[in-house]
Amino acid sequence: MDNELLVIGYGNTLRRDDGVGPRVAGAVEELRLPGVRTMACAQLTPEMADPLSQARAAVFVDAALDCPGRVRMRRIDPSDSSQVLAHAADPRILLALARDAFGRAPEAWLLTLPAEDLGFGEQLSRAARHGLRKAVREVRALHRRLRNRGPACPRPASGRLARTGRRSTRARRSRPACRAPGP
Amino acid sequence: MAKRIIIDPVSRIEGHAKISIFLDEAGHVADAQFHVVEFRGFERFCEGRPYSEMPGITSRICGICPVSHLLASAKAGDAIMAVAIPPAADKLRRLMNLGQIIQSHALSFFHLSAPDFVLGWDAPQSRRNVFGLIAADPQLARAGIRLRQFGQEIIEVLGGKKIHPAWAVPGGVRSALSEEGRDRIRQRLTEAYATTEAALGLFMKALESHKQEALIFGNFPSLFMGLVSPDGSWEHHGGKLRFTDSTGNVIADQIEPAGYQEFIGESVQESSYLKSPYFRALGIPGGMYRVGPLARLNICERMGVPRATALLRAFKQMGRGAVTSSFLYHHARLIEIMAAVEHVERALEDPDLLDGDLRADAGVNSPRGVGVSEAPRGTLFHDYTVDGAGLLTKVNLVVATGHNNLAMNRTVAQIARHYVQGEDIPEPVLNRIEHGIRCYDPCLSCSTHAAGQMPMRIQLIGPGGDVRREVVRG
Repeated sequence: MDNELLVIGYGNTLRRDDGVGPRVAGAVEELRLPGVRTMACAQLTPEMADPLSQARAAVFVDAALDCPGRVRMRRIDPSDSSQVLAHAADPRILLALARDAFGRAPEAWLLTLPAEDLGFGEQLSRAARHGLRKAVREVRALHRRLRNRGPACPRPASGRLARTGRRSTRARRSRPACRAPGP
Repeated sequence: MAKRIIIDPVSRIEGHAKISIFLDEAGHVADAQFHVVEFRGFERFCEGRPYSEMPGITSRICGICPVSHLLASAKAGDAIMAVAIPPAADKLRRLMNLGQIIQSHALSFFHLSAPDFVLGWDAPQSRRNVFGLIAADPQLARAGIRLRQFGQEIIEVLGGKKIHPAWAVPGGVRSALSEEGRDRIRQRLTEAYATTEAALGLFMKALESHKQEALIFGNFPSLFMGLVSPDGSWEHHGGKLRFTDSTGNVIADQIEPAGYQEFIGESVQESSYLKSPYFRALGIPGGMYRVGPLARLNICERMGVPRATALLRAFKQMGRGAVTSSFLYHHARLIEIMAAVEHVERALEDPDLLDGDLRADAGVNSPRGVGVSEAPRGTLFHDYTVDGAGLLTKVNLVVATGHNNLAMNRTVAQIARHYVQGEDIPEPVLNRIEHGIRCYDPCLSCSTHAAGQMPMRIQLIGPGGDVRREVVRG
């Protein structure tokens, strides 16, 4: 396993709170936690499936409009839906791509942060700034839990994760994930 | 009563748009239009900012095309400073643009378009995507992902892994290529060649069974525009503008990019935020032109590298003077990937890429600067006007998807006329109509200067304007 934990923060850094995901990735990078790799990007794209398949665990960090004041971490599974929309992908679709194209998908979580303002600009709202600090703490806590759990058990290349049938998550603007419990 | 069919959203394109199909009294397709329905005023947002910030700002218009905006913006800044940038900087910018072409074309071919002609137009919608492609040919699908990754790696090696690197700046670039970075790129060349060859083989095989699509999907005479080098070779970053017609005649050549407005007019559709540029001398509809891979191959005489030049020769045999079918954008894209990989390999042999002389410095020496670069989807113009302090007073961005707007309308109408018979439109027919748009691989985030993504719809509209049927997907 190349990485114990892959943190992918995504969003547009020119659209104020939408850019909070990449900022969380940047803040985690600065912590230099052992075994942690970070990626900051505008949107999820298919080639990320390759590093994703090599990680033991992954956290997708995104902004969500309809979770006011709340930072939420929840487990996600590879998507049941095989529908791929435009150039961008959803975290669960990317997990499915990692599984189907590269043989395995890691354990994964979606970490959503509150967004209030998606206008042009680089300043975060107060809620997003607060969420950023809390999200970094959540990632640190997850990192600790994963390390305490010991080394990963490699899955067979052909292994597939259980599918839950839950609906696809597109957290940012349309269907933010607010309901599931933390890890 | 005539009717209108609306496809909304058009899936597997970047952004959000709508297709309207107008039916006449007899239930035949009278016309069709491709609309973009969202606008966020990016150009106005930039006014008052220093021109030197523009590469970093405009590269965030879109998560798919950041490099294209970065490079065109830096070139506009060069023009405002009125400097010739150091040769190493120019070569490094070109290398990054090649990486952008590879990654973007790979995504378009393997993820967005190939599922249709590999799995079949009539395959269930739930299978007709990259997962269906993985099931049909896992090795090829994986190779396609890795080809895109290769292009991204070139960008990352040069610009760093940070999102939207402001690596290209007015006057040059911030850093050279390291020896380690050069070796990282070099070691992936063999695989990139093999994947491109495999994709070309796949497409040529598909073409045998898709002769009808090649005749129907946007097959009509038009002009073609793009950059060419002084000797008429394929260009992607330097050079000057050329227009050719559908018989292959050059009708305007070696046009200075700064003078584009003398040759290109921009009309506005009431129903879309996407402008419709045209060749001014011929007006509309005669001045309709196409840009992007198909146009770049039609206007050039050679690719500047051997494998791609051989492919170009064979490609040109498919047309009489020019290849006029938009279905062959896919083929052109693959030839451009081959050219880009060959040019990357050649560039890596150049010791200038490791040179430390990377920036020219100057103040504002010209009140206006125009930067032009070939984005994967076509010619991209950044046109800035500044005051004496270098603050922007006017910004005009003319992007590839806009250039192709008139041709996309015509393509949708052509496909609809062939397949739509009355109000009952089965899903595979809708998919064919959408595919007509996907041939151009449009990026609507860029074309409307929005930031982020937009979703899109197909509407069937009667002669009295009544919406008879509406299909919303995605």
